Order: sequence, then structure tokens, then C-alpha cells
Amino acid sequence: MRLSKLLQLPLVLTSLLLPLPVATEHTSNWAVLVSTSRFWFNYRHLANVLSLYRTVKRLGIPDSQIILMLPDDMACNPRNAFPGTVYSNADRAVDLYGDNIEVDYRGYEVTVENFIRLLTDRVGEEMPRSKRLLTDDGSNILVYMTGHGGNEFLKFQDAEEISAFDLADAFEQMWEKKRYHELLFMIDTCQANTMYSKFYSPNIIATGSSEIDESSYSHHADNDVGVAVIDRYTYYNLEFLETKVREPSSKTTVGDLFDSYDSAKIHSNAGIRYDLFPGGEKAARERLLMDFFGNVQNVEVDTTNSSSGNSTDAEWEEDILALGKKISELRKRQEALDLQAQAQVNNSSSVPPPGSLKSEVKLPTSKIRAAKVEVDNSWFGKKAVGAWALAGCSLVWLAGSYLESSPSAS
Amino acid sequence: MALNHQDASSPAAMREPGEDSTASVRRDADAPKGAVVAATKRKEPPPETLGSIHLRTTVILSFWAIIVFFGLPLWWKTTAIYRADLPLDEMMDWDKGVACRPVFPLRISIEASSLQEHEAQHLLRTTQHALDDLNDFSAHHLRLQLAQPANASISADGSTTGGLEDEVALTIKVLPGPEQASELQSYSPVLDIYYTPNQVPSSSSSSSPLATYIANQLRTIFAEEQAMIAHLLSTSSAPPERSPKAPPPEVAEALAKWTSRSMKYSPTYHLTFSLFTPTATPSSWDIETAIEEHMKPLLDTLSSISNFTIDTQVQLYASPGVSGALLKKEDLSGFINAAEWPLSPSIGGAPTINFILYAGDMEVEGGGRSWLIPQWGGVVVQANVTDLRPTMLIFSNQLLALLGAPEAGSLPLRLMTLIRVRSAGLLLKASGTLGSLARLTRALPSISIPQSVAEGVYTTIEHLRKACDGLGGKEALRNARIAEEAAEKAFFEKSMVGQVYFPDEHKVAVYLPLLGPIGVPLVMGLLKDFKAWKKRRSAI
Repeated sequence: MRLSKLLQLPLVLTSLLLPLPVATEHTSNWAVLVSTSRFWFNYRHLANVLSLYRTVKRLGIPDSQIILMLPDDMACNPRNAFPGTVYSNADRAVDLYGDNIEVDYRGYEVTVENFIRLLTDRVGEEMPRSKRLLTDDGSNILVYMTGHGGNEFLKFQDAEEISAFDLADAFEQMWEKKRYHELLFMIDTCQANTMYSKFYSPNIIATGSSEIDESSYSHHADNDVGVAVIDRYTYYNLEFLETKVREPSSKTTVGDLFDSYDSAKIHSNAGIRYDLFPGGEKAARERLLMDFFGNVQNVEVDTTNSSSGNSTDAEWEEDILALGKKISELRKRQEALDLQAQAQVNNSSSVPPPGSLKSEVKLPTSKIRAAKVEVDNSWFGKKAVGAWALAGCSLVWLAGSYLESSPSAS
Repeated sequence: MALNHQDASSPAAMREPGEDSTASVRRDADAPKGAVVAATKRKEPPPETLGSIHLRTTVILSFWAIIVFFGLPLWWKTTAIYRADLPLDEMMDWDKGVACRPVFPLRISIEASSLQEHEAQHLLRTTQHALDDLNDFSAHHLRLQLAQPANASISADGSTTGGLEDEVALTIKVLPGPEQASELQSYSPVLDIYYTPNQVPSSSSSSSPLATYIANQLRTIFAEEQAMIAHLLSTSSAPPERSPKAPPPEVAEALAKWTSRSMKYSPTYHLTFSLFTPTATPSSWDIETAIEEHMKPLLDTLSSISNFTIDTQVQLYASPGVSGALLKKEDLSGFINAAEWPLSPSIGGAPTINFILYAGDMEVEGGGRSWLIPQWGGVVVQANVTDLRPTMLIFSNQLLALLGAPEAGSLPLRLMTLIRVRSAGLLLKASGTLGSLARLTRALPSISIPQSVAEGVYTTIEHLRKACDGLGGKEALRNARIAEEAAEKAFFEKSMVGQVYFPDEHKVAVYLPLLGPIGVPLVMGLLKDFKAWKKRRSAI
């Protein structure tokens, strides 16, 4: 133990010597809101997602930065007693399907493949920008998923399923390509916490509605609609967001939201995962909810040109007039350069990289298996049990054939 | 062989029909001792002929041969994931910054026609010396040269003279004047330095006030660019010793702001100019001529960096997200009515930069009427839209800021700095993408890698090499652009979607029902035959 600490010391020292990276904040906010189930009796899953959609829009994320995936159209379902509307509460105060709903993926477009393509941005040329997650290293992303799931999987459309491993790999690919700054993952499904248990990419805060072998329950049904309209976990999240995060300047933190989870109300044990976040639990809890649910724009006001507009104006006039001249000059030079570039041998020899470069920076050659976060101590045990089971079958078979063929059977 | 049942009470006959017939045969041989013997000692089948043994062995072996030589390769071939060979180590080298050491040799030519040849040489040497002393960032260094008529054949560092041939970042004109002064020409990258006659360095002294002055001026001019490039390098995964020491906090803050403000690089940007009016008037604006007059020249000069497409729109009865004549600064982020204003991002494949003119009478607290939204665009509030000139000038300024141009210096210098910073950024980004791809290839063995990815990687490396060799010029930017595009395309290859995770249990579940019925007879047959063979051998 001590030795390993000693070995870490130089690392710590070098990191101190490095120029400290400027604490950059995120520059944009994105939300990926996914419902994965079809059919009328799953009304509540679409209501969950639409409620969250309404909340993030209320807090300022523009539609162009929200990816909404709805596998079914409850508003136009013939069984809907209130055509054209979706409600997430029996009081039917807020029509979630009102104006300005921009569904990006709809119906049978909501598939595991499309979802993973969306996250990793491996899409074809034909995909419009509005259906892509155009995030960069300054983007905070809220990923919310709801549907029917089980241990380490979430069903899509009753036809296929996404496994926790695939989701973890997709996030790793996003991280590897610097496609997010920080990510808040929320999931409301049965055994939801298993879905984030396989994540291994940094800067993720994850929360889920229920533990392994535990169901996630709906909150209440609307007797006129005829089905349950919202799930408990989502309901209490929304309740918190509606009451505590009133305006975009709210200073409520992620920790406050997580503290509000009450297993007596939710009827399942909501889980939270901090360990992937740099700084751990403390840093993660201090993040503002608005960092994920709102849109932060650090607007820069030009104050210079308000009163003393004349001077800048004059300066700019000069510049732009000069530009006209400059263009022709640049063009000429460019042409000359082009001509010369053909003939010119590259004489500006670059300095060869010195051989003494620190090459002890370790190459991550080892395969990262998705499951590496959970150190499976009984791995060999499991394999041994499996091998024994197979061997046992063969033994029984062999014994059977032996007994059959043996003369002592008579 | 079928004989009749002679003795129904015989226990042997009761047992099995197969045994029954063999037992009967044997009983016929030693008839009188009868039933008791048959019950205790079973009769053996007649020995197999050598031919049938051979036949059986051949059948079993041929089954196995088919399985081993045909079945297994077929199974292997059809279930293997195609993974093209990637030069992983080379890709990692690029990512770590080992393959390329970004160096920006900026050529600065000195025109000193008023000085004697040897004086000019001396000035150049001392200035270069002073510059090298001041510079603590090896990746970005200024190299002075004399711009002289053809008769001067030797210059300080032995490089060919003739500043026109090389890409000169800045020309210094050393002119005699009444007092020491410097002036940056706003039309072209030329710095005028005025000196007093007594400042002409004597050839004996190793330093001179004029040289120090010029060095300091140059350093001031290029400080911002240097800080930007240093920032880029420090945020990349390049080895740390290459980066200079940490910048002072105010510079760091400015750099962070610059990073968060400027758009991510794209070969094409789409500019949308929108007029939003709260009522029915004004319903038109003379945007076309305004763009032609004020925007086009700027866009033309920027065309070596990116292309631009333009569209405009007018929206009537548009209300902003916040109301009131005096806008608070924290409300400004809500000014854009994202829900109702049609500012679609999906025009074409290029990122959109929005410029919004809101025809209302509003003012921001503190007296501003325009603001810039990082990585998104700019907003101007102006009641009267007949004169678009001031608005367009603000938009031009905002555009430069959004593209990441430095704030200080004359326009030509800013543009050239932008080119260098962009090529450095693109180089680092493409290198980083290569590294990401290499790491993913190693980390996700189940992902398939088509040949096109390998081709993209080789294209990237080739152009990265070219860009790295010629950093600082326009050709480098062109190469870096190609490299970055190819790297992105390779990374985001459509067919590389890893959604094929199968736990081991699934594999067992798939293969066991298939292989069980086939495998067990095969293995058992082999074992039985082997046992029989051993028995025969021991019997001999």
C-alpha cells in the first residue's frame, strides 16, 4: 500500500508542475429524453418524458438542443378520451402535448441502433442536424430514459433491448471523442440502477429509480384516461423541479434533488452513482441543477459601441474600406504562393522529436471490458461453476452410456 | 436370424427382444443345460469383421474431418468481425504529440533601407537575440530576416533572402523619425518603427535600445497569439514540457472566454440574418445591399479559412423572451425566444451563426444595445432599421469574435493569426481524433472496422504530416482541414456501431442447443471407437 502511494507521488508532483487547466465551464446544454415503450397501457412512459421535456424547455434549453424520442403517439391514440393531449396528472392542468412539441425520433425510429447512433453521432450524411446530438467538449448533457427494463437491460418497443454494457460503451465513445463535458443520467424503469452500474466513463452522475430485483411503480392513474399517467420516481423528480427550481437563476444543487428522494414515497430505492465524477460525491452534489436542466449562456454585452459609437464606427469603416484593397493584394500573394508552392521544396525542416520524450506515459493497451467498474471477485468461481455444470452433464451422459453398455447391468 | 420363442418362461427371453435373439442362438449351441445358464451368462455377439471396423472408423473420422476442416473454418469466418488493420502505434504517437512537434516559425522581415547594410545586419542580430531572450515558448518563435534587394546575398542565419518568397508574417519598416515610436498599419501586416539617429546601434555593442524596443513591440503584438497557441497545446494531450509556464490569471481567464466563445471549426458556416419586429412595422430592411457592402469584403478575406453561406429572414409580431424597456444582464440569455422564433439550426449541413436585429426600443442595463451569445451569434437591438451600417459593423465584429480571431492588432494581422491558430487547433483535433480511434479500437474488440476507416486514417496521417511540416502558412491550414475532415469521417464511420454486446451466457445459450445434439454423438462415437481400438490392441 505504502509503495503504491510512493509511486503515485511523482505523478502528483508532475501534475502540480503542469499548467493548471483553466476551470472551464460548460458552454451549452443538451437533453436526450427517451421513452422506449409502445402501446396505450404504457401511456405513463410517454407522459414521463413529455413532462421532463416541458421542464427543460421551461428552464431554457432550446428545442434545437433537445432530442426527444417518442415511440408511440398517445395523443392521437383512438383510446385517448382526450384527443390531442397528453396529461401527466389526473388533475389534467397542463397539457403536455400543447404547442411547440418537436419530436425528433418518433414511432419505429426509436430503436436501440438509432439511439446508439445518436449518442455516438455515427449517422449518415442524410441525417438532418436537428436529429443529431451536436455536442462538444463544453456540453452538459441530460440523458433521461424510461420504459420497461430488467437486470442490465432496457426494452425498446417490445422488440429489442439495450444492455447496460452497450450503453456504457456508447458513453465511453462519447467521452473518448470529447462529446460531453458532464453528463447526468436518469433512468426510471424496473431495476433501473443496474443500467448505470456498468458505466466506466468519467464525468457522469447517474441516478435510477430502483435497485436490482426491485420494481419501479407508477404514481397514480387517471380514471378518465383509463391508465396510469406517471411513474413515481419521475413524479417526485418533477415535483422537486417544479417547486424548487422556479427560474433559470436558481441555485438548487443536484445534491438537493437527490436528498429529496424518499423511498417511502417512491416505493423503491432510488440509486445514485457519484464515483465517476471527478471530485466524487462532494463535487457532484455541488453541481447546480441548472447545469443540466437549464441552458446557460454567458452573454457578452458590447458596451463600447453604445455611447462612443462614433470612434469604433470610424475605425471599422476604415478597416472595411481597407479590406477591399487587401483582398486584391492577398489574392495576388496567394497566387504567387500557389505557383511557388509547387516548385518549392520543403526547406523548413521540422525539428525531429527528441528521443528522450517521456514515453512512460502508459499506453492504454489493455482491453476495457464494459464490466470493469464492478470488480467481479467471483469471476473464476462463476466460470468454475459453469465448467462444472457442463462437465457434470457430460459425466451424467457418459455414466449413462457406460451403465448401458456395461455387462453388469444384467 | 429370427428364431421362434422356445421358452416363454426363460428370464433371458423376457428381457429384451435384441438379447432374446442372441440368447436363443447361444442356447441352441449348448442346448440341454438350458435356462439357468442363459440367465447368468450372456452370450457375446459374433466378432466384427475387420472390414466393418474399418468402415466405422472411416465414417467417424470423415465426420470429424468435415467438422474440423470445413465446419470450424466456416463458423470462424462467418462469425468473425472484420477489423481493418490500423496503424495504432502511429495514431497514438500523433495523439501524444510525439509524431509532430508543432512549431510556428514566423518570418518577420525587416526593411531598413535607411540603414547601412552592416548596421541592418547588426540590428537584426541584436533584435533576434533580444527576442530569443524574451521568448519562453519554444513552439512559437519569431525569426527575423532582412528584406532587401537582390544584391544582398547573405543574411544572418544563412537562409535565402527575399522576403517575398517566404510567407512573411509581418514586415517591419525601420524609418528615421523625430522620436522613438511604432505604428501598426491597418491595411497590411506592416509595423512602422521610427527611431532617432542616435539609436542606431554601433557595431561593437551587443545590445541596443532600438533592438530591445523592436523586440518588445513584436512580443506585444504576438503575445495574444502565443497565449492562444500555448493554451491549445496545453489543453491537448501533448507532452507537458512543451507547453510554457502557466499564464497569469487574467490571461487565463481571457483564454477561457475565447475558448468558450468561439465556434467549433467547420469548413462552412451558415450565416442567418434575421429581423424581428414586435409589431407589423418595419416589415422590410435593405439587407442585401448592407451585406454586399459591409459583410462581403470581410467574408471574402475569411474565405481562406472557411466558406460562408447566407440567408436572411424577417419575422413580424415577434416578441422576445423577456419584456421591458430596460433589459437586465442576466435576462439576456432568455431574450431569444427559442420556442417561437424560427431559428432552425438545420439549414444545410453547416453550423449556423445567427445575427439578430430586433427592431425594438430596448436597452441593456449599463447602456449596451448589442450582445454576443457565445457559439451562437449576436443580437442587436435597434429601433430604426433604415440605416443598417452600424448594425452590420457590429455584426462583423461579432463574427470575427465568434470565429475566434484575436482581439488586438490590425485586421490583416488578426486574420493571419486566426489562420495559424486554426491550423494548430485543427492539427491537434485531428491528432486527438486519431488517438481516440486507436484507443477505441483497442478497447472495443467487438466493433467492426471497415476498410474505409483505415483509408481515412492513412489520409489523415499523410495530411497531418504535411500540415505539421509547414505550420504557419496557408498550405498548413488546407492540409489540416483535409486531415481533420478525414479523421472525423473515419471516427464517425456509420457502420461502426457497437451494439452487439453478448454476455457469455447468451453465447452458451445460442450454441448449446445447436452443438449439443451434434457434439455428443460425435464425441461419444470417437470415444467408443477409441476404446474399442485400445481393447483390440491389448487383446493382440
